[in-house]
Amino acid sequence: MPDLPLETSNIIFELRNVTHQFGSLAAVRDVTLQIRAGERVALVGPSGAGKSTLISLLNGTLSPSQGEVWVLGQHLARLSPRGLRHVQRQIGTIYQQFHLVNNLRVIHNVNAGHLGRWTFLKGVISLAWPLDVDTAAKALAQVGIPEKIYERTDRLSGGQQQRVAIARVLVQQPQAILADEPVSSLDPERSREIMSLLRDLSQTTGKTLVVSLHDIDLARSHCDRIVGLREGQVVFDRPADEVNETFIRALYKITA
Amino acid sequence: MFKKLILMSLLLGSLLLAACGDAAPAAEGAAAEPASTEPLVISAIPDQDPEVLQRQFGQLASYLSEQLGVPVEYKPVTDYAASVTAFRVGDLDMVWFGGLTGVQARLQVPEAQALVQRDIDENFHSVFIATKASGIEPFEDIDGLAQLKGHTFTFGSDSSTSGRLMPQYFLSQAGVTLDDFKGEPGFSGSHDATIALVESGSYEAGALNESVWDNRVAAGEVDLDQVQILWRTPPYHDYHWVARPDLAERYGDDFPDKITQAFLSLDPNNPDQKEILDLFGAEKFIATSNDNYAQIEAVGREIGKIN
Amino acid sequence: MQKTLSGRTSASPVAVPRPSLFNRKTGWVLLFIAGVIWALLQAGLLQHDFVNPGGWERVRRFLAAGLNPDLSPDFLRLTLDVTITTLAFAVCGTFFSLIFGFVAGIFASEVWWQSILPGRVGGRSLYRAPWLAVRSVLAFLRAIHEIIWGLFFISIIGLDPLSAVLAIAIPFGAVTGKVFSEILDEMPRQPYLVLRNSGVPPTLALTYTLVPQAFLDALSYAFYRFECSIRAAAVLGIIGAGGLGHEIFLSLQSLRYEQIWTLFLALFALNGLTDLWSGLLRRRLGAKLSCSGADCVDIDSPMSGTATLQLYRYDRVVRASLIIAALLIPFSFWYIQPNFGKLFSERTLLHLGEVARWAFPPDFSQLPLSEWLELSAVTVAMSLLAIAGAGLLALVLSFPSAHNFLLPGGLLVPSTAGLFHRTLGWAVLLIARSILLVARSIPPPVWALLFIFVLFPGILPGAAALGMYTLGILGRLMAEVVENLDDRPLTALKALGARGGDIFTYGILPLSSPRFLAYGLYRWEEAIRATVVVGLVGAGGLGHLLTEQLSSFDYQGVFTTLIVFVTLIFLVDQISAAVRRTFREN
Repeated sequence: MPDLPLETSNIIFELRNVTHQFGSLAAVRDVTLQIRAGERVALVGPSGAGKSTLISLLNGTLSPSQGEVWVLGQHLARLSPRGLRHVQRQIGTIYQQFHLVNNLRVIHNVNAGHLGRWTFLKGVISLAWPLDVDTAAKALAQVGIPEKIYERTDRLSGGQQQRVAIARVLVQQPQAILADEPVSSLDPERSREIMSLLRDLSQTTGKTLVVSLHDIDLARSHCDRIVGLREGQVVFDRPADEVNETFIRALYKITA
Repeated sequence: MFKKLILMSLLLGSLLLAACGDAAPAAEGAAAEPASTEPLVISAIPDQDPEVLQRQFGQLASYLSEQLGVPVEYKPVTDYAASVTAFRVGDLDMVWFGGLTGVQARLQVPEAQALVQRDIDENFHSVFIATKASGIEPFEDIDGLAQLKGHTFTFGSDSSTSGRLMPQYFLSQAGVTLDDFKGEPGFSGSHDATIALVESGSYEAGALNESVWDNRVAAGEVDLDQVQILWRTPPYHDYHWVARPDLAERYGDDFPDKITQAFLSLDPNNPDQKEILDLFGAEKFIATSNDNYAQIEAVGREIGKIN
Repeated sequence: MQKTLSGRTSASPVAVPRPSLFNRKTGWVLLFIAGVIWALLQAGLLQHDFVNPGGWERVRRFLAAGLNPDLSPDFLRLTLDVTITTLAFAVCGTFFSLIFGFVAGIFASEVWWQSILPGRVGGRSLYRAPWLAVRSVLAFLRAIHEIIWGLFFISIIGLDPLSAVLAIAIPFGAVTGKVFSEILDEMPRQPYLVLRNSGVPPTLALTYTLVPQAFLDALSYAFYRFECSIRAAAVLGIIGAGGLGHEIFLSLQSLRYEQIWTLFLALFALNGLTDLWSGLLRRRLGAKLSCSGADCVDIDSPMSGTATLQLYRYDRVVRASLIIAALLIPFSFWYIQPNFGKLFSERTLLHLGEVARWAFPPDFSQLPLSEWLELSAVTVAMSLLAIAGAGLLALVLSFPSAHNFLLPGGLLVPSTAGLFHRTLGWAVLLIARSILLVARSIPPPVWALLFIFVLFPGILPGAAALGMYTLGILGRLMAEVVENLDDRPLTALKALGARGGDIFTYGILPLSSPRFLAYGLYRWEEAIRATVVVGLVGAGGLGHLLTEQLSSFDYQGVFTTLIVFVTLIFLVDQISAAVRRTFREN
């Protein structure tokens, strides 16, 4: 692979002139971005700025209309479905609406994190007789809800469901975690708890964290780099402590 | 948009009401007109080749209309019980019934008259058939029916005289009850289906209308290596035309006689009339009367098809 | 004690005991398996062969005739004529069932009764008794099969087309009423309460608030009902309504296979076009509605939720459908000419009196108790086998029939799939959908007469006939469930690198299972109802008894058997409510 940059070992995600169109609407326009191992990056910007699209491009559930997405040194568009799955196993994603299977028990939603490694048969057996219970229990203990392991997921509150989603990522043991507005459905207290959980997780294990947020204060307090997006384009990209009110106002300003 | 929908449904509703409004007076209007123009409504229960009978009934209707001087309308009904019921409530004036259904109909409409039947109907037979594989042998005497015990067996339609009532009667005469068969007896729905089901081995034996059997054998449609005839039953009365008692009132006292005459005068030498006779599988029609069906009524009561 | 990431302490991870494998849910599953085994034993498993090899020659001849349908001009004209007749009966039947259903829906809704009887007596709400009474009446009306209603109306009204229209309208109106009342009860109540508090009478307040709110769901359901009416109209042909059912029976009686195929093709086309149209319309109406499994109240309506009319204001399909309906309704009434005057005529009253006199009082002593139990057992066994077989096959066929499953961009296929995968996906979809269409288009009594050639008589051919018909409907309903699945949890699984099979077992299957279960139970009740029309293939049971009583004009017996039948359906209704509760709550 001749066009691989030299410092590739350090780069987890790289977008090269990426554009993504939904019909005639360009959700992401000509974005170039590099994210290194261990970084905690917040994506901020108004609604419709392209944050969610960017996350979907990074975890390979969307492929760009133009440009290249590189993850862990692999050009996603050139991968076979099997190769893509292999890369995806190294990336855990957390969503705003949790995206859990509501009528399964918590244990199964957590164990879904294993699916990239388990055989199909093992997955099926585990649905009837949960396997690897210890791993799941440990993950749930880490997120603070060990007692919910055999509960039905839809019985849990929003904050608890988001913890289940995080436990699933813990079980998955990815190299990087993507979080798409993980706290937008939660109240401020719950939001802070979840963000702290994600930050601690990244700090203790050195996992890369890319999180899209509406709340600038949370971004500043929990991340070390902030990327401002507006109408699908990068407006600024700086260390968190350098992002002041001027940047924010420019990001959210209303243009006619 | 919602207002529009409401409007539209109101509109539809009023359209419909208007339609109802129109329909009701129309019906009354028809009743008020001279009795002679009220059509004679006829029907027929399905028998042999019912699809031909039902779909070509127009020929008979126009012949009768010409002979009787009143409009004749044919209404198709496939279900035995439905045609008896329609006769009872007065929607059918004259129906081609089987033995059993004719009796059922007359019992529900007192004074109704059996008018005419085919030449073959006063001497009707059923046949019992069986697969060769069943090991049941043909026999000459009614007691031979005892061989059917322990085998599977199918009747035709459950209200059929030749496919159900009389076979069950002769079985009981030979001491065979329905519980003696293997499993529950089947009801194939028609004589042709009975042949087909026995031929294919779904049932080991069955009973059906003699004329259907003879016709199918003559046409080479039955695989005689698979299925054979066991026994022909003694004769009984079957199909006949039954008319409601109010016809005389409606069209004049001699009207039932005119109907009878119209059937009796069907001439095989007249090509059009020959077609009608062929439709019924008859050489000619003959007069009949209610008394001819006393045996059928007795058997019907015994078997529980008449209460 | 272990420290969590956010610094709190929590109990040791092994503190929660693993729940037992034997809970209420698995209890029901075991009970179901036991039930199916019992039903197979009832059907004579281990006692005799099921399949009659001698019948295959007939089947071959029947299928061969399919390549050579009767296309003579006369027969084609007849076929076209009876197809329009069947369509017209369905339209008229649906029209009245909707009017009846919408009115009944208001008076069967909890919210209406709560408003007019708000008081409490002895700690119990006053409204419950009359409310439950209305619902029981509806349950009774819908428990009786269309054919029985048809024969009832013939015996009081006569052969008028009105009899067949009412035979569809009464039971389907009762179902519509039940579903509509449940939709009403699920709607947000604030606007209604505002009107009530300002002194508007309940019925009026309901008409101005909840009814418009529920309109779209109701409209969507109305079109589903229309699909069902087409199938009912075909069956009603047997008792004199004319139309496709009538002609199919005639041709079947003398085994004219070529003619049967022509009529079948017309039936497939009629059903296929109706289902396609109704499916498209309901997708338009329901596309923006989401229904997350157990939250759905009604089991009968394929979609449910809340939506605003504004969304559909300019939708072409919705608009075109309403215009077509507006044209079709008057045309249908003109085509079949039901005589509404007969409904209230003296003659009808006279016959009603007669039938009532003959039917009352019911007489259970006609048969010993053991016999009633035995007949009920046979009926239940037949319906259990039918629903078990249909459920399994529908599960297999529903996924490939859903357009979001195997086609490129579907749940399991990358959107970049090549020509080969695209073609294969479409082929599988078309085959699966065709099987389901054929299965549900052919009326169950016709299936029974076909199955009896290859299966030895007994419960099994009856069950197979009901099973085929149920499969067709269930498979279609289940495919719609799959098409309406919330795909976000599935995307999440895809994003973590799960394979197709894993996404299926950990996402698609659990997400769709509550609605699958609800539909399965609903069709089970329907299967019991329909045992009436397949009773004659040596299957016995209450259906056969009823047919014998009907053809013997034993009205008292018919009435008695119907009471037993309705009781049985009530019991099944209770069981299925209990099952759904268990699966919703655990």
